[in-house]
Amino acid sequence: MIASFRKFLPAKVKEELAAWSMLSPALLLLIGFLIIPFAMAIIFSFTTKRLVSPLPTRFVGLDNYVRLFADPAFWQALRNNAVFAGIVVPIQSGLGLLLATLVNRKIPGRNVFRGIYFMPVVIPMVVVCVAWYFVLTYPEGLLNTFVKILTFGKAGPYDWLRAPSLALPTIILISIWQGVGFQMVIYLAGLQSIPEELYEASRIDGASAWQQFIHVTLPCLRNTHIFVLVTTTILAFKLFTQVEVLTQGGPRGGTNTVVRYIYVAGYRELRIGYASAAAVIFVLTVLVVSVLQRILVKEEREAL
Amino acid sequence: MLRTLSVLGVVLVSLVGLAQAPIEITVWWHTGHPSELAVITAFVEEFNAKQNEVRVKLVTIPEAEYTAQVRAAGLAGKLPDVLDLDGPTMANFVWNGWLIPLDPYLTDELLADFLPSIIAQGTYPPDGKIYALGQFDSGLAIWGNREYLEKAGVRIPTSVDDAWTLAEFEDALRQLAALPEVKWPLDLKLNYGVGEWFTYGFSPIIQAFGGDLIDRTTWKAEGTLDGAASVLGMTLLQYWIKQGWVVPATAGDDAFYGKKTAALAWVGHWMYGPHKEGLGDDLVLIPMPKLGAGCRAATGMGSWAWGITSISKHPDAAWKFIEYLLQPEQILRLTNANGAVPARKSAIAMSPLYKPGAMLDIYAQQLETIPIPRPVFPGYPTITSAFAEAVQNIIAGADVYEELHKAALKIDQDIKENEGYPPFGK
Repeated sequence: MIASFRKFLPAKVKEELAAWSMLSPALLLLIGFLIIPFAMAIIFSFTTKRLVSPLPTRFVGLDNYVRLFADPAFWQALRNNAVFAGIVVPIQSGLGLLLATLVNRKIPGRNVFRGIYFMPVVIPMVVVCVAWYFVLTYPEGLLNTFVKILTFGKAGPYDWLRAPSLALPTIILISIWQGVGFQMVIYLAGLQSIPEELYEASRIDGASAWQQFIHVTLPCLRNTHIFVLVTTTILAFKLFTQVEVLTQGGPRGGTNTVVRYIYVAGYRELRIGYASAAAVIFVLTVLVVSVLQRILVKEEREAL
Repeated sequence: MLRTLSVLGVVLVSLVGLAQAPIEITVWWHTGHPSELAVITAFVEEFNAKQNEVRVKLVTIPEAEYTAQVRAAGLAGKLPDVLDLDGPTMANFVWNGWLIPLDPYLTDELLADFLPSIIAQGTYPPDGKIYALGQFDSGLAIWGNREYLEKAGVRIPTSVDDAWTLAEFEDALRQLAALPEVKWPLDLKLNYGVGEWFTYGFSPIIQAFGGDLIDRTTWKAEGTLDGAASVLGMTLLQYWIKQGWVVPATAGDDAFYGKKTAALAWVGHWMYGPHKEGLGDDLVLIPMPKLGAGCRAATGMGSWAWGITSISKHPDAAWKFIEYLLQPEQILRLTNANGAVPARKSAIAMSPLYKPGAMLDIYAQQLETIPIPRPVFPGYPTITSAFAEAVQNIIAGADVYEELHKAALKIDQDIKENEGYPPFGK
């Protein structure tokens, strides 16, 4: 009956119906697992919702937000996230681009190198952390022994994960090591879309390899740059596994991140309302950062 | 006619078969040490083999996230029939309505055979009913390397009355640190990270000084957790670390029993197996030192216990399994593997490890004299989380009073948000 009804619909409506029905599975998943939970989080952030409790939930207005902004641990976590993202995004993207140009050249065994550089990305982060824990053991771990040999015993063993000045840099190092393959692969795809004629033309004009890189490769990768910038920033703000497994946010909150703050408040201390408030603020922060990035990069494009 | 009869016959036989089909119950267990896993698996297999009424399906969940998993299951209404739970979480589970009292199944003589600490751990104060019973209680004392202790000329105490005083303890640390083989005299298992260990292992320090995690009559943390006694206790811990006497968190787990760069290990009974393997006859167990003024010592207690969930449709079958687990023979098999204190006096009498004069007897002595249970309170998850984070910051050198004060405020805030966890605090 429906099939016969469809015969009488105008073509435009039929097209729209087809489009909606093809979108609906993905839309339903997005709504069910992203939109609805986020809406629930916004609602919970104004209440005393607990993870498990026989008591009824009470509405408390902006109480959770007031307490959140008054907590120095939250600001410290936000600061750590900013420092982490500020260092990781340029370095990981830059290294990714460097590795991509290296494995884009026609050298023998380049697929082997591509595989090696990409391998850490497919290893689950927890496994990476456990392996690195043994490398970083103090005072006689792999890295400390390496440093000792290189400096003939002059440079003392370092407590990489517990010394206040070394903990965050160590986490940064491990994260870059694990993730750089991802940026490499994206840049590789971007590099392969640059037409060879541009390079030939620049060679005819007498450009050196470095000048080719600056004036042909980089500009043609503009879209890839934007994509890598935005996704790496968002990924950097999600830092959790490394700091939970290796340092538990220490020393003295020096490697605590907002996601870990939310996890401890919501799941360990069972305060879902408070954790939801932190989550809402976190999403707004990342949103602002991403929007800022898009605006700034857009302006550069138009200036050219 | 024949067909009808044969169909009837098949139906009857299957009905009879169904009536005798064993009741299936699911049992959740936190995966403890490998030695414990082997014993628990054997328990389940033997229980299933020796009778046909109840069939047990064992589900093992890693210890680190076990309590969180139970909470998630409780929230979803998908708890098993039987589960084991860490003693201090009992109050929170009962407050959430997830456990049923075991009192209908307990006889007076059964209760009389259990250690008082096990009964206390499983009793919910508001109604005085017992909701969980453990096969063993924990022991917390100081493991020592006899060879190093003798070399440094340190006296080895033989009983709880004989324990080191604070001065003796610190002198011992100093003398042990002077030995060339010893890098750090004391292993506090900082490598366990932020978690229940910090509360279990280090709250006895503040309790020895007369402090506590929370006032157990008014259920208020401020004034107690950040009181003078508690601050003194934690300052002492920070002092030991600043002196360089403690194995760093990043130095791995085996400084005491593997690399032998530590002379003392402040850790519980669960390390009995690896320690015995690593040190053999050089292993000694030293009672908790009398840290507090007036020569006061304290030790931790409480461990995993078994309970029946309120969701279970077969509580009687569930009790059958727990009853089997709580028999002295089964208790002995488990405690021989993990070195814990058997929960029943009859089992202690039969245990080769707990004879008077045997090494682990120190644990039994301590449980009779100086144990302090972790607070039996539904707000315990926040108490332990806040205290553990404070300890982690104190270890890293933060101001002791500030950290304990922050933790106390957090705990009190949580209690306020839960309206004092009625019927407590009223």
